[in-house]
Amino acid sequence: MPIQLNRGVVGKEYPPYAITVERGKIKEFARAIGDLNPFYLDDEVGRASAWGDIITPPTFPISFRDETGLLLRDLGTDVSRLLHGEQEFEIFRQLRPGETYLCRSKVLDLYEKTGKTGPMGFVVRETSVTDANNEIVAKMRSITVVRL
Amino acid sequence: MKYARVYFEDVQVGDELPVLVKGPIQQIQLTRYAGASGDFNPIHQDDEFAKAAGMGGVFAHGMLSMGFVAQAVTDWAGAGTVRKIGVRFTALVRLKDTVTCKGRVLAKSSKDDVHTVDVEIWAETQKGEKVVTGKATVALPSRA
Repeated sequence: MPIQLNRGVVGKEYPPYAITVERGKIKEFARAIGDLNPFYLDDEVGRASAWGDIITPPTFPISFRDETGLLLRDLGTDVSRLLHGEQEFEIFRQLRPGETYLCRSKVLDLYEKTGKTGPMGFVVRETSVTDANNEIVAKMRSITVVRL
Repeated sequence: MKYARVYFEDVQVGDELPVLVKGPIQQIQLTRYAGASGDFNPIHQDDEFAKAAGMGGVFAHGMLSMGFVAQAVTDWAGAGTVRKIGVRFTALVRLKDTVTCKGRVLAKSSKDDVHTVDVEIWAETQKGEKVVTGKATVALPSRA
């Protein structure tokens, strides 16, 4: 029997959460990908750059996740059923080590389709990342697939 | 390794990005990526868990492959150039797989002194199966 996802999550906004970007986390993230670009890893190169400090790989904001556990509980599923369907990042300015950002996540849509492997739910989420001046820094859109 | 800085004028529609080959994927890389990204789903770490979940064994985080294609873009265009990057995950990457990242320039445009280039990006395994497909937009400096 396929599981039923709770459609009540559509439109739900999760409580904003603050993330402070740590210098070491940026480097750990770049190294985990094997992307040894000195603009991510070398403080000297960062200092001499147009940004005045190291910057982050484009996909780094994926590590700003706090609400996933809540979302799974709200949907009525667990991690064993999840697949990543789609992911998008919009970067309005470079993130900087030491800065604190506020992340706000919202569930935009939930729909179901039947694929080759059976019924699946698609959860569309958007997370905005803003700085201390409430300026948008980055936006993430994701589609999480739930095997029903 | 070269960290390119490419000028807007030097890019032509149809240009191909330098190919970036990543892998073979090892468990330790998935463990490092879990720690770095905060995605500790055991489906990427624990073979028994992944089998019990019906996935036939451990597979890589989709985001790791997205990190690879993003690297292919920044190795070519330069760090800090990406304005937008979006992908679909179309197949699973397994342990020992090699992930080859490719790209091609789709369009160029200039508006208010901002010069952007759209590129089609994708990654495939050694079997030729596409695991990621998508698009990125980079802002490049102009010689003018």
